[in-house]
Amino acid sequence: MAATPLEVRNIKKRFGDTEVLKGLSLEAQKGDVITLIGASGSGKSTFLRCMNLLEQPDEGEIILHGDPIRFKATRHGREPADWKQVVQMRAKLSMVFQNFNLWAHMTLLENIIEAPIHVLGIPKKEAIEQAHALLERVGLTARANAYPAQMSGGQQQRGAIARALAMNPEVMLFDEPTSALDPELVGDVLKVMRDLANEGRTMVVVTHEMSFARDVSSKVIYLHQGLVEEAGTPDDVLGNPQSSRLKQFLTPNY
Amino acid sequence: MLDISAWFNDLLSGNLIFTSTTLGYYWTGLVTTTQLVFLSLVIGLVLAVPLAIMRSSRRKWISLPVYAYTYVFRGTPLLIQLYIIYYGVVFFDGIQESFLWPIFREAFYPALIAFTLNTAAYTTEIFRGAIKATSKGEIEAARAYGMSQSLMMRRIIIPSAFRRALPAYGNEVIFMLHASAIASVVTLMDLTGAARYVYSRFYTPFEPFLFVAAIYLCLTFAILFFFRFLEKKLLAHLKPQTP
Repeated sequence: MAATPLEVRNIKKRFGDTEVLKGLSLEAQKGDVITLIGASGSGKSTFLRCMNLLEQPDEGEIILHGDPIRFKATRHGREPADWKQVVQMRAKLSMVFQNFNLWAHMTLLENIIEAPIHVLGIPKKEAIEQAHALLERVGLTARANAYPAQMSGGQQQRGAIARALAMNPEVMLFDEPTSALDPELVGDVLKVMRDLANEGRTMVVVTHEMSFARDVSSKVIYLHQGLVEEAGTPDDVLGNPQSSRLKQFLTPNY
Repeated sequence: MLDISAWFNDLLSGNLIFTSTTLGYYWTGLVTTTQLVFLSLVIGLVLAVPLAIMRSSRRKWISLPVYAYTYVFRGTPLLIQLYIIYYGVVFFDGIQESFLWPIFREAFYPALIAFTLNTAAYTTEIFRGAIKATSKGEIEAARAYGMSQSLMMRRIIIPSAFRRALPAYGNEVIFMLHASAIASVVTLMDLTGAARYVYSRFYTPFEPFLFVAAIYLCLTFAILFFFRFLEKKLLAHLKPQTP
């Protein structure tokens, strides 16, 4: 049996006196598209960022293909015992950010080939060929030599998705990928994400796009104040919400 | 060849101040100034990059010594620094017998050391500001894509900070050129030193000082032009593209 690409167990995280995550678990099998929904402050982005250790969880396990990340206790709390392991792990989980976070001093093409060449050690020629193929996929062939500041938000985010794909990741993490975009640009980005889901990519997506969650995901997790309030298939969670909080969350209030 | 020198002598004939001898002084001065400024800037830049990284460190025992250094060298006049190094060096026991003496006996090397340490201090602070201003999101992306601290420094932070620092560094280069004029007080025959020498020979303030002022202007123009070219090339990513 193939091991689970990404499994997190009982993640807890506090910022000062506030406990933001109160024990969250998640299991992404190959081909799963898991969406995390919830009001702002529910901890969904923090949870996602704990998965690749951009935030250090205070407790809990992160397991990639049955291989748990090792931690050690320090004066400042828990830290990864072996940063090399973390670096390797991050190379397998590529992240797409709310604010794109493309490297501003590099062209789009340079952004895409940067990590494959310098982190994965892929030959430059091969990386460039791959990058062009990815640019074609996300519809940005013409913008290969543009700098991020010269592109629209939607183009930047599709470029950022191409950058994430170039790592050939086992799991892709999306942190509110459409939240910083003008409404008319959201569609293009969601279309790319739908294509990725349909081709069997394993994805964990934090989003406010309920239609995306409903149509694309295999599992929806609704978080409230650092805990899982409801979880299940989109039909169960979004079609038949049980808790009054989720019902209220799903009701458009305008 | 003979024609040119004849033409040249003809041009200068009847001119007491611009003779081929004084022009020779100016030329020596220009070479000295250029060497001094260029070398101190290059060495200062090489020193400043690691110092700026250390200065940006969160570990106090790494950043504080660098801060002390930049504070002292930015907090005191360059002229005083030059005096201390030029006049103070003979008081080190045994330096006159050591292999370093031929170096320190000349005014050029103490001046070079003072200028290098001074510009390195300013450049360190310019770079530190630029490093600190690196977008948090870009750093996060670098971490999320599995870059180690050193790879991220080399590929993301330094290239991006260097570009941001470019306009401020251009100013520092011009400032160094003009600050180099004080090298003449420690007997160095730089451009200003040459002008002063000619002035004291002929007691004519305007010709020599206006002449070297014009040379400084030309040098400044060259520096400005060079940095404009660099900015055009390296800061292309900040300009919106006209499709």
